[in-house]
Amino acid sequence: MNSGNPVPIIPKGRPISWEDWLKGRRARRETGNRVAPEIIRRPSSSSDRRLRKLFGGERGLPFKKTEEL
Amino acid sequence: MKPEEIQKALADITAEADPTLKHLKLASLVSAVFRERSIELVVVGGSAIEFYTEGAYVSGDLDMCLISPARLDIRTRQELMGQLGAKGGPRTWQVAGQYVDILGEIETLARTPFNELQAPCGPVRLVGPEDLLVERVLVSVYPQRDEPAELCARKLIAVALSGQVEMNWQEARRLAERPEYRILPVLEELVNTVAHELGKSSPYHS
Repeated sequence: MNSGNPVPIIPKGRPISWEDWLKGRRARRETGNRVAPEIIRRPSSSSDRRLRKLFGGERGLPFKKTEEL
Repeated sequence: MKPEEIQKALADITAEADPTLKHLKLASLVSAVFRERSIELVVVGGSAIEFYTEGAYVSGDLDMCLISPARLDIRTRQELMGQLGAKGGPRTWQVAGQYVDILGEIETLARTPFNELQAPCGPVRLVGPEDLLVERVLVSVYPQRDEPAELCARKLIAVALSGQVEMNWQEARRLAERPEYRILPVLEELVNTVAHELGKSSPYHS
Protein backbone atom coordinates (compact mmCIF):
# COMPACT_ATOMS: atom_id res chain seq x y z
CA MET A 1 0.00 0.00 0.00
CA ASN A 2 1.24 3.52 -0.65
CA SER A 3 -0.12 7.02 -0.36
CA GLY A 4 -1.00 7.17 -4.07
CA ASN A 5 -3.04 3.99 -3.99
CA PRO A 6 -4.84 3.51 -0.67
CA VAL A 7 -6.52 0.30 -1.83
CA PRO A 8 -4.42 -2.72 -0.87
CA ILE A 9 -3.30 -4.59 -3.97
CA ILE A 10 -3.69 -8.36 -4.27
CA PRO A 11 0.00 -9.01 -4.79
CA LYS A 12 2.12 -11.65 -6.40
CA GLY A 13 4.72 -13.59 -4.49
CA ARG A 14 3.45 -12.73 -1.04
CA PRO A 15 0.15 -13.32 0.73
CA ILE A 16 -2.50 -10.69 1.20
CA SER A 17 -3.92 -10.45 4.71
CA TRP A 18 -7.60 -10.96 5.40
CA GLU A 19 -7.92 -7.36 6.58
CA ASP A 20 -6.31 -5.96 3.43
CA TRP A 21 -8.44 -8.13 1.19
CA LEU A 22 -11.58 -6.93 3.01
CA LYS A 23 -10.44 -3.30 2.73
CA GLY A 24 -10.17 -3.55 -1.03
CA ARG A 25 -13.55 -5.16 -1.68
CA ARG A 26 -15.57 -2.04 -2.39
CA ALA A 27 -12.93 -0.46 -4.60
CA ARG A 28 -12.56 -3.62 -6.66
CA ARG A 29 -16.32 -3.86 -7.10
CA GLU A 30 -16.56 -0.20 -8.11
CA THR A 31 -13.72 -0.53 -10.59
CA GLY A 32 -15.29 -3.56 -12.22
CA ASN A 33 -18.65 -1.81 -12.40
CA ARG A 34 -17.07 0.86 -14.62
CA VAL A 35 -16.54 -1.66 -17.41
CA ALA A 36 -19.25 -4.29 -16.93
CA PRO A 37 -22.64 -4.69 -15.25
CA GLU A 38 -22.54 -5.21 -11.52
CA ILE A 39 -24.06 -8.67 -11.57
CA ILE A 40 -23.05 -11.13 -14.24
CA ARG A 41 -24.42 -14.30 -12.82
CA ARG A 42 -25.01 -16.85 -15.54
CA PRO A 43 -28.71 -17.41 -16.29
CA SER A 44 -28.12 -21.16 -16.35
CA SER A 45 -25.43 -23.82 -16.36
CA SER A 46 -24.99 -27.54 -15.92
CA SER A 47 -25.28 -26.95 -12.16
CA ASP A 48 -28.62 -25.18 -12.53
CA ARG A 49 -30.86 -27.81 -11.02
CA ARG A 50 -28.85 -28.43 -7.88
CA LEU A 51 -28.19 -24.73 -7.29
CA ARG A 52 -31.81 -23.67 -7.66
CA LYS A 53 -32.84 -26.44 -5.30
CA LEU A 54 -30.32 -25.28 -2.70
CA PHE A 55 -30.98 -21.55 -3.02
CA GLY A 56 -34.78 -21.50 -3.15
CA GLY A 57 -35.14 -21.07 -6.91
CA GLU A 58 -32.10 -18.80 -7.35
CA ARG A 59 -28.64 -19.82 -8.48
CA GLY A 60 -26.94 -18.52 -5.34
CA LEU A 61 -27.30 -16.23 -2.36
CA PRO A 62 -28.15 -12.58 -3.06
CA PHE A 63 -25.08 -10.43 -3.64
CA LYS A 64 -24.08 -7.82 -1.12
CA LYS A 65 -24.67 -4.29 -2.34
CA THR A 66 -21.61 -2.29 -3.26
CA GLU A 67 -22.33 0.37 -0.66
CA GLU A 68 -22.38 -2.31 2.04
CA LEU A 69 -18.94 -3.66 1.19
CA MET B 1 -7.91 -28.56 13.22
CA LYS B 2 -9.70 -29.94 16.21
CA PRO B 3 -13.29 -31.11 15.67
CA GLU B 4 -14.62 -28.26 17.79
CA GLU B 5 -12.69 -25.73 15.70
CA ILE B 6 -14.16 -27.23 12.55
CA GLN B 7 -17.66 -27.06 14.02
CA LYS B 8 -17.16 -23.43 15.00
CA ALA B 9 -15.95 -22.56 11.50
CA LEU B 10 -18.84 -24.45 9.90
CA ALA B 11 -21.34 -22.57 12.07
CA ASP B 12 -19.79 -19.27 11.00
CA ILE B 13 -19.87 -20.24 7.32
CA THR B 14 -23.44 -21.50 7.53
CA ALA B 15 -24.55 -18.21 9.08
CA GLU B 16 -22.64 -16.08 6.56
CA ALA B 17 -25.07 -14.30 4.23
CA ASP B 18 -22.49 -12.65 1.97
CA PRO B 19 -21.91 -15.17 -0.82
CA THR B 20 -18.34 -14.09 -1.52
CA LEU B 21 -17.30 -14.28 2.13
CA LYS B 22 -19.11 -17.57 2.48
CA HIS B 23 -17.14 -19.01 -0.43
CA LEU B 24 -13.86 -17.67 0.80
CA LYS B 25 -14.31 -18.89 4.37
CA LEU B 26 -15.34 -22.29 3.05
CA ALA B 27 -12.30 -22.41 0.76
CA SER B 28 -10.14 -21.61 3.78
CA LEU B 29 -11.68 -24.36 5.88
CA VAL B 30 -11.49 -26.99 3.14
CA SER B 31 -7.88 -26.00 2.39
CA ALA B 32 -6.97 -26.28 6.08
CA VAL B 33 -8.47 -29.74 6.49
CA PHE B 34 -6.77 -31.03 3.35
CA ARG B 35 -3.47 -29.35 4.25
CA GLU B 36 -3.31 -31.37 7.45
CA ARG B 37 -2.94 -34.41 5.18
CA SER B 38 -0.30 -32.62 3.06
CA ILE B 39 -2.77 -32.01 0.24
CA GLU B 40 -2.68 -28.57 -1.36
CA LEU B 41 -5.72 -27.14 -3.14
CA VAL B 42 -6.22 -24.05 -5.26
CA VAL B 43 -9.41 -22.12 -6.04
CA VAL B 44 -10.15 -21.91 -9.75
CA GLY B 45 -12.83 -20.60 -12.11
CA GLY B 46 -15.62 -18.24 -11.20
CA SER B 47 -14.89 -18.32 -7.48
CA ALA B 48 -11.32 -17.16 -8.04
CA ILE B 49 -12.55 -14.37 -10.30
CA GLU B 50 -15.00 -13.37 -7.61
CA PHE B 51 -12.22 -13.11 -5.01
CA TYR B 52 -10.14 -10.94 -7.35
CA THR B 53 -12.90 -8.68 -8.63
CA GLU B 54 -15.85 -8.68 -6.21
CA GLY B 55 -17.60 -9.08 -9.49
CA ALA B 56 -20.89 -10.43 -8.20
CA TYR B 57 -20.17 -13.47 -10.28
CA VAL B 58 -20.68 -16.20 -7.73
CA SER B 59 -21.61 -19.23 -9.74
CA GLY B 60 -23.22 -20.87 -6.72
CA ASP B 61 -20.48 -23.39 -6.17
CA LEU B 62 -16.85 -23.32 -5.14
CA ASP B 63 -14.41 -24.99 -7.51
CA MET B 64 -11.07 -26.21 -6.22
CA CYS B 65 -8.31 -28.22 -7.90
CA LEU B 66 -5.41 -30.27 -6.62
CA ILE B 67 -1.94 -28.79 -6.65
CA SER B 68 -0.26 -31.70 -4.91
CA PRO B 69 -0.56 -34.56 -5.03
CA ALA B 70 -1.89 -34.57 -8.58
CA ARG B 71 -4.37 -37.31 -7.77
CA LEU B 72 -6.33 -38.15 -4.67
CA ASP B 73 -8.11 -41.41 -4.10
CA ILE B 74 -11.82 -41.40 -3.60
CA ARG B 75 -11.65 -42.79 -0.06
CA THR B 76 -9.39 -39.96 1.11
CA ARG B 77 -11.64 -37.35 -0.52
CA GLN B 78 -14.68 -38.78 1.18
CA GLU B 79 -12.94 -39.04 4.56
CA LEU B 80 -11.66 -35.47 4.47
CA MET B 81 -14.96 -34.00 3.34
CA GLY B 82 -16.64 -36.16 5.98
CA GLN B 83 -14.72 -34.21 8.63
CA LEU B 84 -16.70 -31.20 7.43
CA GLY B 85 -20.03 -32.97 7.66
CA ALA B 86 -20.27 -32.87 3.88
CA LYS B 87 -22.98 -34.67 1.94
CA GLY B 88 -22.47 -36.27 -1.44
CA GLY B 89 -19.28 -36.84 -3.39
CA PRO B 90 -17.03 -38.06 -4.83
CA ARG B 91 -16.32 -34.80 -6.69
CA THR B 92 -19.13 -32.53 -5.49
CA TRP B 93 -20.26 -32.06 -1.93
CA GLN B 94 -22.73 -29.92 -0.08
CA VAL B 95 -21.18 -28.22 2.94
CA ALA B 96 -22.50 -25.41 5.12
CA GLY B 97 -25.16 -24.43 2.59
CA GLN B 98 -22.81 -24.37 -0.40
CA TYR B 99 -21.58 -26.75 -3.05
CA VAL B 100 -17.87 -27.52 -3.23
CA ASP B 101 -16.34 -29.23 -6.24
CA ILE B 102 -12.91 -30.78 -5.86
CA LEU B 103 -11.72 -31.37 -9.36
CA GLY B 104 -8.54 -33.00 -10.62
CA GLU B 105 -5.07 -31.60 -10.96
CA ILE B 106 -4.87 -27.88 -11.69
CA GLU B 107 -4.40 -27.09 -15.36
CA THR B 108 -2.01 -24.20 -15.58
CA LEU B 109 0.54 -23.13 -18.13
CA ALA B 110 1.50 -20.01 -16.22
CA ARG B 111 4.97 -19.48 -14.81
CA THR B 112 3.70 -17.10 -12.18
CA PRO B 113 3.02 -18.48 -8.67
CA PHE B 114 -0.40 -18.99 -7.20
CA ASN B 115 -1.64 -16.10 -5.15
CA GLU B 116 -2.38 -16.53 -1.49
CA LEU B 117 -5.01 -14.99 0.72
CA GLN B 118 -4.78 -15.29 4.50
CA ALA B 119 -8.33 -16.26 5.40
CA PRO B 120 -9.86 -17.09 8.80
CA CYS B 121 -9.04 -20.82 8.85
CA GLY B 122 -5.73 -20.47 7.03
CA PRO B 123 -4.28 -19.62 3.62
CA VAL B 124 -6.33 -19.95 0.44
CA ARG B 125 -4.45 -20.41 -2.81
CA LEU B 126 -5.89 -18.72 -5.89
CA VAL B 127 -5.03 -19.54 -9.46
CA GLY B 128 -3.13 -16.61 -10.97
CA PRO B 129 -5.04 -13.79 -12.66
CA GLU B 130 -3.10 -14.38 -15.90
CA ASP B 131 -4.45 -17.92 -16.23
CA LEU B 132 -7.96 -16.75 -15.38
CA LEU B 133 -7.85 -13.86 -17.80
CA VAL B 134 -6.63 -15.83 -20.80
CA GLU B 135 -9.05 -18.65 -20.05
CA ARG B 136 -12.01 -16.26 -19.87
CA VAL B 137 -10.97 -14.51 -23.05
CA LEU B 138 -10.84 -17.84 -24.87
CA VAL B 139 -14.23 -18.90 -23.50
CA SER B 140 -15.67 -15.51 -24.47
CA VAL B 141 -15.25 -16.33 -28.16
CA TYR B 142 -14.95 -20.14 -28.43
CA PRO B 143 -16.84 -22.30 -29.11
CA GLN B 144 -19.25 -19.37 -29.48
CA ARG B 145 -19.57 -15.89 -28.04
CA ASP B 146 -20.09 -16.00 -24.29
CA GLU B 147 -20.97 -12.64 -22.81
CA PRO B 148 -20.58 -13.52 -19.10
CA ALA B 149 -17.04 -14.73 -19.79
CA GLU B 150 -16.20 -11.49 -21.59
CA LEU B 151 -17.67 -9.41 -18.76
CA CYS B 152 -15.60 -11.32 -16.21
CA ALA B 153 -12.48 -10.73 -18.30
CA ARG B 154 -13.30 -7.03 -18.49
CA LYS B 155 -13.59 -6.79 -14.70
CA LEU B 156 -10.34 -8.66 -14.18
CA ILE B 157 -8.57 -6.37 -16.64
CA ALA B 158 -10.05 -3.31 -14.93
CA VAL B 159 -8.89 -4.20 -11.41
CA ALA B 160 -5.45 -5.05 -12.75
CA LEU B 161 -5.12 -1.82 -14.73
CA SER B 162 -6.26 0.07 -11.63
CA GLY B 163 -3.51 -1.39 -9.47
CA GLN B 164 -5.85 -3.44 -7.30
CA VAL B 165 -4.66 -6.85 -8.50
CA GLU B 166 -1.10 -7.42 -9.61
CA MET B 167 -1.11 -8.81 -13.14
CA ASN B 168 1.94 -9.89 -15.12
CA TRP B 169 0.84 -8.63 -18.52
CA GLN B 170 3.80 -10.20 -20.29
CA GLU B 171 2.87 -13.55 -18.85
CA ALA B 172 -0.74 -13.11 -19.93
CA ARG B 173 0.50 -12.32 -23.42
CA ARG B 174 2.78 -15.37 -23.44
CA LEU B 175 -0.10 -17.60 -22.38
CA ALA B 176 -2.43 -16.13 -24.97
CA GLU B 177 0.12 -16.85 -27.69
CA ARG B 178 0.55 -20.48 -26.72
CA PRO B 179 -0.93 -23.12 -29.01
CA GLU B 180 -3.25 -24.18 -26.20
CA TYR B 181 -4.97 -20.76 -26.36
CA ARG B 182 -4.07 -18.90 -29.61
CA ILE B 183 -6.12 -15.94 -28.46
CA LEU B 184 -3.63 -13.08 -28.34
CA PRO B 185 -5.39 -10.66 -30.75
CA VAL B 186 -8.63 -10.93 -28.77
CA LEU B 187 -6.80 -10.42 -25.48
CA GLU B 188 -4.94 -7.37 -26.76
CA GLU B 189 -8.06 -5.81 -28.18
CA LEU B 190 -10.03 -6.33 -24.98
CA VAL B 191 -7.25 -4.95 -22.78
CA ASN B 192 -6.86 -1.93 -25.05
CA THR B 193 -10.62 -1.32 -25.03
CA VAL B 194 -10.95 -1.54 -21.25
CA ALA B 195 -7.88 0.65 -20.77
CA HIS B 196 -9.45 3.26 -23.05
CA GLU B 197 -12.75 3.12 -21.16
CA LEU B 198 -10.92 3.65 -17.86
CA GLY B 199 -8.71 6.39 -19.27
CA LYS B 200 -5.58 4.37 -18.57
CA SER B 201 -2.70 3.39 -20.77
CA SER B 202 -2.76 -0.17 -22.06
CA PRO B 203 0.18 -2.48 -21.41
CA TYR B 204 -0.34 -3.74 -24.97
CA HIS B 205 -0.16 -0.42 -26.76
CA SER B 206 3.09 -0.24 -28.65
